[in-house]
Amino acid sequence: MTDKPKTYIWQALLEKSFNILIPVFAILAAFLISGILIIAWGANPLEAYKALLAGAFGTPNAIATTMTRLSPLVFTGLAVSYGYRSGFFNIGAEGQFFLGALAATWVGITFTNLPGWVLIPLCALAAALAGAFLAVIPGLLKALRGFNEVLTTLLLNYVAIQYFEWALRIEHYRPDINVTWDDKPIKWTFLNWIGVKDVTQPFPQSPGIVEAAELPKLGTLLKTGLLNQLFGQAHWYEEFVANPAVNRMTLAPIIALVFVVIMYFVLFRMTVGFQARAVGVNPDAARFMGINVPRTIIITSLISGALAGLGGSIEVLGAQHRVIPNFLVNAGFDGIPVALIGQLHPAGVFLSALFFGALRAGANKMQILTQVPISVVYVIQALAILFAIAGALLDLQSKIKIARLAKQTEAAGEQPVAEKEVSGA
Amino acid sequence: MLEQIVAVILSVELYTAVVRMTTPLLLAALGSILAERSGVVTFSMEAMMLLGAVGAIIGSGLTGSAWLGLCVAMLFGALVGLIYAVWAVSIGANQIVTSVALNLGALGLSSILYVMTFAPAKGEVIEQVIQVPSLPAWKIPLLGDIPVIGTVFFNQIPIVYFGYLLIPIIWFILYKTTWGLKVRAVGEHPHAADTVGISVAGVRYISVVISGIMSGLAGAFLSIGMLNTFQEGMSAGRGFIAYTAIVFGKWEPLGVALGTVLFGAADALQLRLQAMNLAIPYQFMVAFPYLVTFITLVVFVGKAVWPASYGMPFQREGK
Repeated sequence: MTDKPKTYIWQALLEKSFNILIPVFAILAAFLISGILIIAWGANPLEAYKALLAGAFGTPNAIATTMTRLSPLVFTGLAVSYGYRSGFFNIGAEGQFFLGALAATWVGITFTNLPGWVLIPLCALAAALAGAFLAVIPGLLKALRGFNEVLTTLLLNYVAIQYFEWALRIEHYRPDINVTWDDKPIKWTFLNWIGVKDVTQPFPQSPGIVEAAELPKLGTLLKTGLLNQLFGQAHWYEEFVANPAVNRMTLAPIIALVFVVIMYFVLFRMTVGFQARAVGVNPDAARFMGINVPRTIIITSLISGALAGLGGSIEVLGAQHRVIPNFLVNAGFDGIPVALIGQLHPAGVFLSALFFGALRAGANKMQILTQVPISVVYVIQALAILFAIAGALLDLQSKIKIARLAKQTEAAGEQPVAEKEVSGA
Repeated sequence: MLEQIVAVILSVELYTAVVRMTTPLLLAALGSILAERSGVVTFSMEAMMLLGAVGAIIGSGLTGSAWLGLCVAMLFGALVGLIYAVWAVSIGANQIVTSVALNLGALGLSSILYVMTFAPAKGEVIEQVIQVPSLPAWKIPLLGDIPVIGTVFFNQIPIVYFGYLLIPIIWFILYKTTWGLKVRAVGEHPHAADTVGISVAGVRYISVVISGIMSGLAGAFLSIGMLNTFQEGMSAGRGFIAYTAIVFGKWEPLGVALGTVLFGAADALQLRLQAMNLAIPYQFMVAFPYLVTFITLVVFVGKAVWPASYGMPFQREGK
């Protein structure tokens, strides 16, 4: 296999490039068609897109906003893509995301004495467990009793979100306080251990998590870390660190990137991921190979739910620092298009989360500068998904592969060997 | 507290509200049974309803006739159905994913269309609530005069009556007509249907467009039937609830209708109780219908028997 003729290497590269080309063309086509809508609206699409781009990447501040929007989407996108790969279509990422956010907040306002290096992982762990708990119910039902997961995960979304809203309205236990914001005395009950509402506020919102639980700001880290020792004296470094945008940025996008790498290894280098993909491609064949299919489905649902829950914790620890009603609507549902435009590949998920995050971040500027409504962004996203899935079904990749195999066999004069690998596309 | 709940349960207003909350679900769910039975997942009802809602208000607002508003709503719904069918049937894309995309796009498109039609000038926001001609209530002679039952069931707008009729109509189409037989054949065994000369794609296209028309009508009920105004994302997940009702009712018209009543009733009860400031957390009441459905599905209904070719695109062999 080492002495492949050169032309085949080029063809292999071309095949691989479709994974990137299809979504890119889908996105371009989506912008093109949405442009017609913007013209009908009565604005200049080029100007609108320019404002959109400026709002997403134009200034350091804009980039910071895009990065904040990107981080939770990476997690929900990974959650959906991992589930999808193994035949567990997780529509419930929304509910898992909300429960994760709630759990992270609860830990962040309850264990206020712990140092950050304990508290942050603890918050994340609680969020992952909460998300996994919600996802494993449909997982068990599918694995053991054959229930379609689409419906069960969808239904549990509503239950989880209403639980979230309820917990927001139950006062959180505070030993030092015994009256509410309107001076009514409080009789603490065990429910107050579950609730997260801030007793000092009339609105349903949680108190802010303790400072130790907040993800470190990039600016703070750069002022103290190794890089500071190296470049601390340089003028440009001082300027960079002092930039308010750098101070707004947290570790969240970097953590998201770390999880992208982790999920790549889980999916393509570990037995768990291999088994999950095998079950996703063909459960019967997987069973024949000796894979325990129900067990794989349950593990998949746990991993998928944990990832969505982690997304909720990233938003709490990195951006909002508390939970409020309608905390971050659609971050979970958006995980579905993020996963699919990303071609279900962890790296692709990161790129498409960047695309979605940038669209959401830039939409405001577009509306202010060109009066084109934010709603256009939904249309762009929808079209991008539609074109991406249609493009993927053209299946140019396998067509070329078949042609290549035919050529090879012709040259070698023997029958083509059936491919053993579970297709990664 | 118990007395208050009993008072609500005994009030006529509750049952009128039940009929109102059930109708949009009933129209969408029953109208989508054919598509579902032909093997196409109608997770896209949400998109169809939203565009139906905005279509109704645009049609009614521009022409001054609520009836033309209904026509526009059905047209918009049908168009979404057509696009959905292209992806789900012709291209063979994953139907849930396509639906998710359409639902997202409809959310944006509906509010753009609304603002484009009613904004006083380009780029301006709509400040006052737009009022358009809405459908009048028709009191059915004789039946409408029966105390209580007449008020609840027979003093409603015409779409509601159409909803009642739809139950036997869909049942009849599905089980007593050749076309219904074709729909079932295509859903259960597309290859066999193809062999005997039924156009699988054709049957599915028509069924999905019908689903679009009916869901569009359901959306019209939300905008010009119930509130007489349009709000962004006003379908608020009703398309998903209708979908749940279909699975709950095991794809049988009567069962599906019962499913929608269950949701409509829980929703109406929740709205009435919410106004009374009871000790029951309001969130629990909102979650109640979903919880009920989840538990009923898992514990009582058991494993649903899905149409055999459900969600799978059909491709002729040797193609």
